[in-house]
Amino acid sequence: MRPTWRLLGALTLAAVVYFYGATSEVAWLFLFGLLLAGLAAAMYLYARWNAAGLEGGLRLVEVVSAEGSPVAEVPEREFADAPLPAPVFERDTVRIELQLSVADGSGRGPARISSGFGAGSLETGTGLVPASGWSAVRELGPIPRGPLAAEGTVLESGDPLGLFRTRRRVPQEDLAVAFPLFASLADNRLVREVESQLTVVRSGHGTDLYGVREYRSGDPLRRIHWRNSARRGELVVREFEPPGQRILALLLDRDPASPESADQIARLAASEAWDCLRAGGRVLIWAPGLEPLSAPASRSLWGVLEWLGRWPRLTAEDSEPPRVMDAVAFTDHVGGPCLEALRELREHGAATRAWLVGEGELDLPFSRAGLEWPLPE
Amino acid sequence: MAAAGVRRRRLLPASPVEDSGPARAFALAAFGVACLAITLYGQAFVVPPLAFALALAGHRFSHLQRHRRRPRKLQVLIAGMMFLVLGYFLFDSILGLFGANLPQANLVMLLVAVTSFDLTTRRNLYSSLWMSLALVYLAAVFAWDLQFGLLVVLWLTCLAGFWAASNLRRLGAPRFELPRRPVAIALLAGLLAGGGLFWLLPQPSASPSGPLVISLPSSVQFSGLEQPAIPLVQFATDPSGKSGNVDLRFRGRLGNAIVMYIRTGAPAYWRGLTFDQYRAGTWVVSGSAARRFRTFHAYVDSHDLGNTAQGPQLGDFVQTIRVVRAMPGVIYAAGPVESLYYPATEVREDGFGDFYAPAPHRAGTTYSAVSHLPDYTPSSLRLLTLELPAPADGTYLDPGNLSPRARTLARSYLDGYNPASERFDAVIALARHLQRDYRYTLATPPAPAGIDPVDYFLFDTRYGYCEMFATAAALMLRSQGIPTRLVTGYAPGEYNSTLDQTIVRESDAHAWIEVFFPGHGWVPVDPTPSFPALAATRFPDRWAASGLAHLIPHLALGAPTAALAGLGAAALLPGLLALVAIVALGLLWLRRRPRTARARSPGESELIRLYDRLQRRLGRRRAPPETPNEYLPRGCRR
Repeated sequence: MRPTWRLLGALTLAAVVYFYGATSEVAWLFLFGLLLAGLAAAMYLYARWNAAGLEGGLRLVEVVSAEGSPVAEVPEREFADAPLPAPVFERDTVRIELQLSVADGSGRGPARISSGFGAGSLETGTGLVPASGWSAVRELGPIPRGPLAAEGTVLESGDPLGLFRTRRRVPQEDLAVAFPLFASLADNRLVREVESQLTVVRSGHGTDLYGVREYRSGDPLRRIHWRNSARRGELVVREFEPPGQRILALLLDRDPASPESADQIARLAASEAWDCLRAGGRVLIWAPGLEPLSAPASRSLWGVLEWLGRWPRLTAEDSEPPRVMDAVAFTDHVGGPCLEALRELREHGAATRAWLVGEGELDLPFSRAGLEWPLPE
Repeated sequence: MAAAGVRRRRLLPASPVEDSGPARAFALAAFGVACLAITLYGQAFVVPPLAFALALAGHRFSHLQRHRRRPRKLQVLIAGMMFLVLGYFLFDSILGLFGANLPQANLVMLLVAVTSFDLTTRRNLYSSLWMSLALVYLAAVFAWDLQFGLLVVLWLTCLAGFWAASNLRRLGAPRFELPRRPVAIALLAGLLAGGGLFWLLPQPSASPSGPLVISLPSSVQFSGLEQPAIPLVQFATDPSGKSGNVDLRFRGRLGNAIVMYIRTGAPAYWRGLTFDQYRAGTWVVSGSAARRFRTFHAYVDSHDLGNTAQGPQLGDFVQTIRVVRAMPGVIYAAGPVESLYYPATEVREDGFGDFYAPAPHRAGTTYSAVSHLPDYTPSSLRLLTLELPAPADGTYLDPGNLSPRARTLARSYLDGYNPASERFDAVIALARHLQRDYRYTLATPPAPAGIDPVDYFLFDTRYGYCEMFATAAALMLRSQGIPTRLVTGYAPGEYNSTLDQTIVRESDAHAWIEVFFPGHGWVPVDPTPSFPALAATRFPDRWAASGLAHLIPHLALGAPTAALAGLGAAALLPGLLALVAIVALGLLWLRRRPRTARARSPGESELIRLYDRLQRRLGRRRAPPETPNEYLPRGCRR
């Protein structure tokens, strides 16, 4: 807790008035000066009490999809394991609740909570934080791709007169990850057809055991892994990989030239992944020196989008490029480990192609894209 | 142009536009409190309500227009109004055109009212607040009762409200809303703490800073002549309305009404008139003294007066005297006066060092004086500078028509003392004889015709009031060759430590004598019973919890020391009890301290912290309900 300039002003006023009292012998000036000093002391204690019992936090409450958001293209079934309260895509507007609460159930205040989000910031304050807590919703957007992280959430409290102030940082996790926009790069298919394919894949029709997962409504009972279910205490089903399932590797650069080209690369990668996933395939993503997409996430649209949303700000980890027969590289410059990995896969007989964002020529089959989205016809 | 390229630099950062309605309301309320204070205590009934009504309209206008650009016409109008107000002030204060009742306060109030039409920023509102604080200060000078404390608390509440509203605005709070109970408790605690400190702490006094004092000429005209303290009709030839004599055959009835409030650095006898000639029961001023007048302007400083101090001095002290009721224009002050400020065009001083206003005091007249504080102690007064001449005027030795038997009585009282070399002991002996052998009462019958009132008092009734005692002492001392004169005025009065004022009532009207001591001048001596024989003024010990003194009703300023001295060894009891309490608390603290220290061996807390950190690194956490003893073995098992 630190005093404010106003405290200095109050004490100066008290001292001046007291001095005038001493020189003029007007007793009321002594009373005035001492009352001011007494108030300052009481406000100090109040500010300490106020700061001790206040908590603050942020919560994502609503997402307002921007025009052209791919959320309308995603089949409804996919939303079963979508992030809550709704998936956030770049360019969306989000509504964030700034919450203030009290620890011991007694009303406190005043308080303010503020938080930075990139270039913007959210803040709100109140004089009274009731026992049931207090919150205000603020709108933020359009938001860029990437983690929606509150930078330096600060809870400020003090006394009612503003003589003392306490500022405390509130630890805050990411509220959401803004996914890249995507669109199907293949021919349009009927949604019903896509849904049916996804349904089929979900149950697992292959013969190779791929793994186990939690039981979902619609899974055949014979797929239930009873022993594992008994051990876990919940129903678990075997998941089989269908024969001939497409496994697509997306190879991305580690250091894109600019944030804009990074966004465009992420959009292109998400679009390729979307085409693969809705055809029942799996997606593996690799970027040199960065942690690859985890195996369980390779079938999940949201898992892929989250990885692409965070890229290239991911944890560093050395890994080998995946050995698959179908790979697409995304780059904004000629050369680099991403294209080398693609060439190596090509030498092993894999079907390879590349997306080049920007100028240049590649010695591989490639498509070129600019920075605008959606891609021009 | 080159000048156009020069960036204008602001002296102060821009103040934000104050959007908070409550903040504005509190600033206006503070001005309302100030206007109320001026109305109640400055007896001004026209300008304050007018100014407040104008300010109310002005604040509303300013609030509505706060985000708009101020039109030039409005600025010109406000500037013109300010010049008008300034003109009003000058005409009122110099020429007294509008009654000259608190022209400074009127100026400030009207300025606040006029400028309230252009109060948009927070800094503007602060200016309004500080001006209303100046008004409260001005009213405080005239406030002599406890009720004014409520106005101070009210104004401070308005300031607190303004701060709270602007603070909430800064925090972005949508409404002026605070947790009522905790805030009320905090405010009450603050006010109680401040009030308690005010009550308990002494109020120091310091020398006013002279260069900042601005005196304005006053053309206050007095009218009417009232002498409520003297019921008998007396004819005053002096323009001040003062009486020219003290007639022992008559005595006015003295009620309990308050005459003056005095803020003073020391309790003193408030000298009024001096008389040097006694004739057939009446004290008068001798012709030679009555004609020796000096005239001064309103402010009589020490240069004008010359050095009025004689003998060793303890220092000087300030008195601010507020006359509550109309009375003769005798300027009461502790003697000898070093400097004097009286709100009139001129004051006069007679040959005795008494001051007079040009007209009788009007109710509410306030003036201040600085007086010397001579070091009158028995030891110092016994040291006489005999080679210094006594007053050349023989009237100080004239015993009037003192009877032979009274002279004999005086001789018997002073038997064994040399009036020249042992003057102090002789004077005190006589005063104490009178105090011991005669009874004080106000119910004294008038002396029969043909009998001198002093003789009647000394040998027939043997009781009387202060003038009897003083006259008898004066004449008896004069008969023994000791120059003496009679002084009338007021006794020190009753000190109110909360207000830091001495309240002087009609019943404090008093008479005493002044005896000339070579090397010391005229020393006050009081032969009236229940008063100290040597009427010396002392600085009070105000730092010894003077606020507590008024818990004991009979204690007045200066009395605590005497009361404690009267207790003898028992006076040490409170101090000893406090000492015992402090020692006991200290011992308790010392006994508790080692226990805490013993509970933890050196370095143990660091080990626990280190262990905790290692556990956290390994992903082990202490469950909330787990005690350290449960947690540590679990950690060890792992």
